[in-house]
Amino acid sequence: MNRISLLVAREFRERVHKKSFIITTILTPLLMIALMVAPSLIMLGGKSNTKKVAVLDRTEGKTIMQSLQSGATVVFEEAAVSPDDLSAARAAYGSDSWYGILVIGSDIVDNTSSLQLIINDSPVMSVDEAIQNQVQDAIRQARLARYDIEDMDRILSDANVRISSIQTLKNSTADDESMEETSSDISFALGIILGMMLYFILIVYGSQVLSSVIEEKQSRVLDVMVTSCTPTELMLGKIFGIALVAALQIVIWAVLILSVSAFVMPALMSGSTMTAGAGSADIFSHLTSVSFMSGLFLELFLYIVGGFLFYAAMYAAVGSAVDNPQDAGQFNLIIMMPIILAIMVMMNIMNNPDSGIVFWCSMIPFTSPVVMMARIPFGVPVWQVAVSIAVLFISFFLMAWIAGRIFRVGVFMHGKKPTWKDLGAWIRMK
Amino acid sequence: MDSILKIEHVSKTYTGHRALDDVSLEIPRGSIYGLLGPNGAGKTTLIRVVNRMTIPDCGKVIFQGREITADDVYRIGYMPEERGLYKKMKVGEQSVFFARLRGMSKSDATARLHEWFSRLNIEDWWEKKVEDLSKGMAQKVQFIATVVHEPELLIFDEPFSGFDPINQDLLKREILALRDRGATVIFSTHNMESVEEICDDITLINKSQNILSGSVDEIRRKAGGNSFQVTFSGETRDFIDAVNGKATLIGPAQGLLGGYTVQKIHIASDDDIRPVIGLLNEKVALRSFQEIIPSMNDIFIRAVNGTL
Repeated sequence: MNRISLLVAREFRERVHKKSFIITTILTPLLMIALMVAPSLIMLGGKSNTKKVAVLDRTEGKTIMQSLQSGATVVFEEAAVSPDDLSAARAAYGSDSWYGILVIGSDIVDNTSSLQLIINDSPVMSVDEAIQNQVQDAIRQARLARYDIEDMDRILSDANVRISSIQTLKNSTADDESMEETSSDISFALGIILGMMLYFILIVYGSQVLSSVIEEKQSRVLDVMVTSCTPTELMLGKIFGIALVAALQIVIWAVLILSVSAFVMPALMSGSTMTAGAGSADIFSHLTSVSFMSGLFLELFLYIVGGFLFYAAMYAAVGSAVDNPQDAGQFNLIIMMPIILAIMVMMNIMNNPDSGIVFWCSMIPFTSPVVMMARIPFGVPVWQVAVSIAVLFISFFLMAWIAGRIFRVGVFMHGKKPTWKDLGAWIRMK
Repeated sequence: MDSILKIEHVSKTYTGHRALDDVSLEIPRGSIYGLLGPNGAGKTTLIRVVNRMTIPDCGKVIFQGREITADDVYRIGYMPEERGLYKKMKVGEQSVFFARLRGMSKSDATARLHEWFSRLNIEDWWEKKVEDLSKGMAQKVQFIATVVHEPELLIFDEPFSGFDPINQDLLKREILALRDRGATVIFSTHNMESVEEICDDITLINKSQNILSGSVDEIRRKAGGNSFQVTFSGETRDFIDAVNGKATLIGPAQGLLGGYTVQKIHIASDDDIRPVIGLLNEKVALRSFQEIIPSMNDIFIRAVNGTL
């Protein structure tokens, strides 16, 4: 067994045997599921909380009140007092069981500002919005009624056009029939998820390399280690060891999340959410098709591996150069900057997935894992992906070489925090 | 002399501080070599130069007759002053890991380690985590991890610090045994007693320079410089008359119980030793005549103060 594999095995065993590994491996998917389920649960809980509003309609014939329609959010009730007697209404409807009193001015149809809402508790945005919409509709109806046109309702409903979905096809193949269906919304959502995943993996596991190197330097284990193997072996052992831990953890999560979403989520989400997305079902079926998914998983795998190795090499170099986590801060910031830039570019993909900056950021290894992964759901030419991955892996070897040179000197340095100049000198040192 | 390690004119300067200044020394194969010196003299820097952990500004390290390479370093057993073990790992697992890293097979390492563990009475620590050990306990583990692969050259930085006297003795015995099996041992220390007991040769480094090198016996005899302690019965005045001109007195005479007197003298020339004994024998009743061999402790202090 050669030295690197011994080092990798040690790193892997130590980390996997830690309690924190077992806890985070189990808790993280639970947390993610909770985050996914919580909004729908909150929405379900919110619906039952209907607000009651007493209406003082001062218009002639109370036309507005008649048009107001109670719904799930708000229930309108005509106040049982004279519309002009606000103080009586305030006394009658001042209790907590009422959301408030809606005062509609007599000239509301011409003067929309003569509308008042007196509430008993703190304002609820959705309720206020519902009230506004209802009053607006009522006024519109009242105004239309003035024209006295026959069949008004029918004309209106006929003229009221609403496009709920647009079938977007990709103009890539000659054959009209086989054009792939695509959607910017779903692509964007998937892109964001993939990009954030890469971001999370780079930061979390990359900084594990950083703290692990610093810890060994502090505990002086490195002094013993460097007289037993070369610094480069040590560095690669650490990076690959943590990579294996990351791989194991990601696989466990993938299995947990997939099995949960296959069995638990449909049951939980049945009805409401699933039917809402009916228009997008075709796109879902495309995105979940075997060929697309296997390609995506391959790309995801390559970017996770390449991106992690690339960043881990940088983190290892920084860890070797400093004595404590505080000193690492400045260098850490520099490493983080391209990742944060990548996130910013990723948000920009929605507007233009093929813009120059997006293209270059998906090629440059500092940003390519995050940006390219976010771009892929929009459809990226295969050559671009291939070049980007090749550049990433070549850059890893380059970065590992540079990091190795810093590491080789850094691990022996104690005390003074190195400057950028020092790091440069270490790289050039024979 | 068959030397395993030669250090030739090694200098190392850190920003504004000269850690080693033209240090040369030669370590005989199969010896126990003490690296002495006050704190901050440059001992650890010298060790780090040998281990190629610090690159010297100039000078060479010759191992087995040629300049030392990275591969040679992996054949050196090194125990740093600040002990480094993986805290979360179990003692046995960790020792096997280190042994395998240095080229032993798993079964070989396990068998040999069990021998060592039982020899140092720590067999029942095998399954313990390092973080649960005391400092001295961890040090024993570190010692075993350093020697288990039987390197030809062993370097211990302050091996006795943190040990109680019983374990210090145990460690000394083990170091002697390692030498008897053919290993060369270099260790740095402040513990002069251990130097007298186990070192064959020493180098004393002070203010980054090698100020004293050689075999312990020779250094002590030289440092004694023909000083003698004479015990006698009789008149001190007669004693003084007898040695007058040939020897000088060191300090006043001291009376002992039973009427004996002790006087330290210095005889400048070796040729005068026999005549002085003859003269004294005539005037007083000699009980003993003994060369004063200074302790390493004295030599250390005098050398560092420049009064040797």
